[in-house]
Amino acid sequence: MSNVNISMLKGIVGDAFVIDSPSEMANYLKGQGKPAVVVLPGNTSEVSSIVKLANEQNVKLAVGGAVADTQGITGGIAMVMSRMNQILEMDHMNLVAVVEPGVLHKDFLLKVTEAGLNFPPEPYELETSSVGGCFAIGDSDSKSFEYGPTRTFLLGFEMVLPTGEILDIGNKCIKNVSGLDFIHFAVGSQGTFGIFTKLLVKLLPAPEAKKAVIGTFASMHKANATFNTLIKRNVLPTRMNLINASLAKNAKPGTEGQFVIIDLQGFKESGKNIANEVAAVLTLGGGSDVKIIEDEVEYEQVINGWLKVRADLNSKPEQTVEFAVGPMKMPQALTQLEALTGDLGAYPGVIVEGLLGFVGLALPEGTDKLDLARKVNKLAMSLGGNVKGLLGHKLKAEVYNDAEMWKQTASLLSELRQQFDPKGILNPGVSLEP
Amino acid sequence: MLSQTVVKRLKEIVGEKNVVTDKVGLLTYGYDGTLLSGEALGVVSPTTTEQVVEIVKLMNEHDIKLVPRGAGTNESGGTIPSQDSVVISFTKMTKIHEIDTENFVAVVEPGVINFDLQVELEKKKFYFPPDPSSFKASTIGGNVGECSGGPKCFKYGVTRDYILGLEVVLPNGKVIQTGGRNFHSEPGYDLTRIIVGAEGTLGLVTKVFVRIIPMPRAKKTMLAIYDKVEDASQTVADIVAAGIIPTTLELMDNLLINTTEDFTHAGIPRDAGAVLIIEVDGYPEDMDGQVKTIGEIASKIAKEFKVAQSAVEVDQIWTSRRSAFGSVARVRPSYGVNDITVPRSNFPKAIGGVLKVAKDFGVTIGVVAHAGDGNLHPLILFDQRNKEETETVHAAEQALCMMALDLEGTISGEHGIGLVKKKYLDKEFTPAAMEAFRKVKRSFDPSNRFNPGKVIDL
Ligand SMILES: Cc1cc2nc3c(=O)[nH]c(=O)nc-3n(C[C@H](O)[C@H](O)[C@H](O)COP(=O)(O)OP(=O)(O)OC[C@H]3O[C@@H](n4cnc5c(N)ncnc54)[C@H](O)[C@@H]3O)c2cc1C
Ligand SMILES: Cc1cc2nc3c(=O)[nH]c(=O)nc-3n(C[C@H](O)[C@H](O)[C@H](O)COP(=O)(O)OP(=O)(O)OC[C@H]3O[C@@H](n4cnc5c(N)ncnc54)[C@H](O)[C@@H]3O)c2cc1C
Repeated sequence: MSNVNISMLKGIVGDAFVIDSPSEMANYLKGQGKPAVVVLPGNTSEVSSIVKLANEQNVKLAVGGAVADTQGITGGIAMVMSRMNQILEMDHMNLVAVVEPGVLHKDFLLKVTEAGLNFPPEPYELETSSVGGCFAIGDSDSKSFEYGPTRTFLLGFEMVLPTGEILDIGNKCIKNVSGLDFIHFAVGSQGTFGIFTKLLVKLLPAPEAKKAVIGTFASMHKANATFNTLIKRNVLPTRMNLINASLAKNAKPGTEGQFVIIDLQGFKESGKNIANEVAAVLTLGGGSDVKIIEDEVEYEQVINGWLKVRADLNSKPEQTVEFAVGPMKMPQALTQLEALTGDLGAYPGVIVEGLLGFVGLALPEGTDKLDLARKVNKLAMSLGGNVKGLLGHKLKAEVYNDAEMWKQTASLLSELRQQFDPKGILNPGVSLEP
Repeated sequence: MLSQTVVKRLKEIVGEKNVVTDKVGLLTYGYDGTLLSGEALGVVSPTTTEQVVEIVKLMNEHDIKLVPRGAGTNESGGTIPSQDSVVISFTKMTKIHEIDTENFVAVVEPGVINFDLQVELEKKKFYFPPDPSSFKASTIGGNVGECSGGPKCFKYGVTRDYILGLEVVLPNGKVIQTGGRNFHSEPGYDLTRIIVGAEGTLGLVTKVFVRIIPMPRAKKTMLAIYDKVEDASQTVADIVAAGIIPTTLELMDNLLINTTEDFTHAGIPRDAGAVLIIEVDGYPEDMDGQVKTIGEIASKIAKEFKVAQSAVEVDQIWTSRRSAFGSVARVRPSYGVNDITVPRSNFPKAIGGVLKVAKDFGVTIGVVAHAGDGNLHPLILFDQRNKEETETVHAAEQALCMMALDLEGTISGEHGIGLVKKKYLDKEFTPAAMEAFRKVKRSFDPSNRFNPGKVIDL
C-alpha cells in the first residue's frame, strides 16, 4: 500500500486538521489498527477531495463521528466528522431536520427535545455516537415497535461515494417512491456505500406525556411472564425491557434482582390508565418495588440507565450474541436459553426487549462466541426467529443446509459493495463475511 | 411469438391451464391502470416458488425477459409488456401461509389480495396498515412492487414500513430470503428495502413476511367542509402544528365532491370548494381531546365541521373517498391519475400550481390528495380518442411533475415510475443518483431480464 500523502491532505483541509502525531491521534481513534493520519474535514467538498485522494493513492479510509474504528486501516486514513457538527435546519412545519453527520446523537436529541419534537432512535453509544453513524448502523432498538426502526427516520442525504463523487438524494416528503429506494438502502450500509455528509431526518411531534413503570423480579422468567400478560391484554407500551440482575445495578444503582422498565410515551389520559394497568400486572406477576414514575428527572434517569446498559453491550460486539424470536415465544426462548447459559440472572448480561422479542447476551470471558451463536440460532429458529443480522443469516442457511442460499446472498452483498467501491477503499473493517 | 418448445416447457412447469398464448387471452395482460398497452409473448401463472425458479431458468436459456404482474392496477405502466417478454402473473399464488397475531407477523404469497388479507386479519382484530384505495383488487406482491401508500400513511407509513422479509427469486434463478420475521434479520445490507418499490426490476417476490398490528381500540372520523381548497390546507398545517398526528387527512376538491356525490349521496354540499376527511385513532380516552382540538382548528376556517356519529356515517364518508378515481368517468371518458408529492409546507402552493396547469393547458383537473403527506393526485379528465387532447394532457402531466420538483417535491409519492415517469426521472435525480440506481440494478440483474425498461435503463 502506498503511503498517505500528508501534505496533500493538509492542502485540502488545512494544517490544523491533519493530525499525525500518535499521541494526539489517539484521541480520535479506537481499536488496534494503526492509521497513518487522522483528518478532520470541514465540509462536503473536503470530504470528497480526501476520498478522491485515497482512491488515487489506493489508501484505505475509515470514517467515524467523534472517533473512528481503526480496523483495517493500518497505514491509511481515519476520517473524523466532528467538525461537521451543525444542525442546519429544524423545520417544524415539515417535521424535518437537516443535520450534518458529525452532530453527536446525544446533542441532537437535546436540540430536538428543546424544539418540542421527537427523534426516536436510541444512541448506539452514549457519548461518541454521531447522527451520521446512527444511520450508517441503521439498527432497530427497543422503541422500534412503536416508532419503527432507525431507517424510518431518514428522508434523504448527501453522501460522498467511495469514488469521491457527491450524491444528493431525497427531499422533505414523507412519501416518496421515485427511483429505486437507495435512500433507505443506504441506511445500515456502515459507510460502505459512502460517507454521509448531510442528513434529512424525519421527526415527530413530542409525545404529550411520558411515564415509566419499573419493578424488580426474583427471576427472569417471572419478569418476562408479565410481558406476555401485557401483550395478551393488548397493552403495547413504547418500551418493554428487562435487564438481568448482573446488569441491573448499572442501570439503577442499588437494584436487587431483575429489573423491568416499561416506558409509556403518548397521551396524558390514556397514559395514566395504562400506567396503572401495567403496575397492577407487574405486581400481580410477582414484581416488587413496582413504581410508576411521573417525575421528569427520575424518568430520564431510568431511561438513561437503560441506554447505558444497551450501549455497554453495543460496544463489545465480539462478546455478545443477539437474537430475536416472536415476542410471545420468549418464555420458551428463555427456558431453553437457560440450558445453554445457566441461571439467566447470574449470567454476565441478559437484556430483553420484550415488544421485539429481542435478547442480547453479554458473554462470560472465554466463551466460544460462534459455538454459542450456533446453538442460540437453532433455538431461536425453532421459535420462528434467528440470531441477529448477517451472522444469523449465515447460521440460518447452515441449519437449512442451504449453502446455495448463503452463497447467493453473500455474492449479492459483495457485488453491491464492489459496484459502489470498486477499489475497496471505504471502511475496510466492515466485513460482509461473518 | 414463443416457440413451441418454450410453450411446451412452460406448460410442463405450471400446467396447461396456467399458460396463455392466444391473442384474446393475452389482451387483458397488455393493460394496467394507465392508458398504455403492450402485448406479451405469453402469460404464465406459477403456483409455487419452485415453478417460478423453473420459469426463470427456462426464460434465461431462451433469452426471454419477464414482466412480473399482480392485479395490474398500477398507475405507472409497470406491468406493460413493453419489450418482447413473457408476463409472469402471481395471481395464482394466493395462499395465506400463516397469521400469527401473537407475534405480529403474517406470511403470505404475493398474489394474495390486500383486501382478502385484511378480512382474515379483521377476524382477529388485527390489520395490515398499507391499504391503497385499490385494496379490493391489488395484491400484496403489487403493493410491495410499488411500495404503495394509502390514506393512513401520515401516521402509519407506507408498505416498506410493514415488510419484514421476502423470499425472492433472483434473475439468475436462485432463491434468497431477505429479512425475516423481525426487525433483526437483514443480512448486512437491508435487501428487503431495496426490493420494496423496485417495481419488479430486481427480483420476483414469492413470499412476503408482513408486519401486522392490532386494530386501534378507538377511531374518530371527522369531516370539514370549506369554501376554498386553500382553507383546507390551512387546517392541515394547523393540525400538524398542534402536534397531532391523524391517521388520515384526505382532501377532495369541488369537482371530486360532485362526481362522488353522484355515486354516494353522502350529503356533502355540492358548492363546497373542498372537503377534508380527518381521522384519528388510539386509546378511547384520548379521542375527545384530539377531536376537540381538531374541531377548534378546523372551525376557524371551515364552513362546516362534523364528527361522524355512527359506523354508517363513517362508511359513507369513506365510500366517497374510495370511489374518487372511478367517479370521474361519468364526466369524461378517460382520466389520467397523477401522483406528485411536495413537502407539507408547500402543499398550498402545489394546489395553486395544479390550478395554474389546468388553466395554462385548458384541461379539467380534479384533485384528490393525501394532504397530510403532501401527496396530490390531480386527475386530468379527457377523451383518449381525441389525439390532440391526449397530447395536451401529456404535456399537462409533465408540467405537474415539473411543478412538484420546483416545489422541492417528488414525481411519485406512491404510484411509482414504471414507464410513465421514466422520462422525467433524471429531472428529479442527479447523474450520481441515477448511476447509484444502475449500480443496484446491475448487481441484481446484470442482463436486464426482469421488467426491462421500467424505472431505469441499464
Ligand atoms: C456491525 C457492527 C460491528 C462492530 N464491531 C465492533 C468491533 O469489532 N469492535 C468494537 O470495538 N466495536 C465494534 N462495533 C461497535 C462500534 O465500534 C461502535 O460502538 C459503534 O459504531 C457506535 O459508536 P461510534 O462512536 O463509533 O459511532 P459513530 O462514530 O457514530 O459511528 C458508527 C458507525 O457509523 C459509521 N459512520 C460514522 N459516521 C459516518 C458517516 N458520516 N457516514 C458513513 N458512515 C459513518 C462508522 O464507520 C461506524 O461504523 C461494531 C458495531 C457494529 C454495528
Ligand atoms: C382505483 C385505483 C386506486 C388506487 N389507489 C392507490 C392508493 O391509494 N395508493 C397507492 O399507492 N396506489 C394506488 N393505486 C395504484 C395500484 O393499485 C398500486 O400500485 C398497487 O399496489 C398495485 O398492485 P397490483 O397487484 O395491481 O400490482 P401490479 O400493478 O400488477 O404490479 C405493480 C408492480 O409490481 C410488480 N410486481 C407485481 N407482483 C410482483 C411480484 N410478485 N414480484 C415482483 N414484482 C411484482 C409489477 O411488475 C409492477 O411493477 C390505485 C390504483 C387504482 C386503479
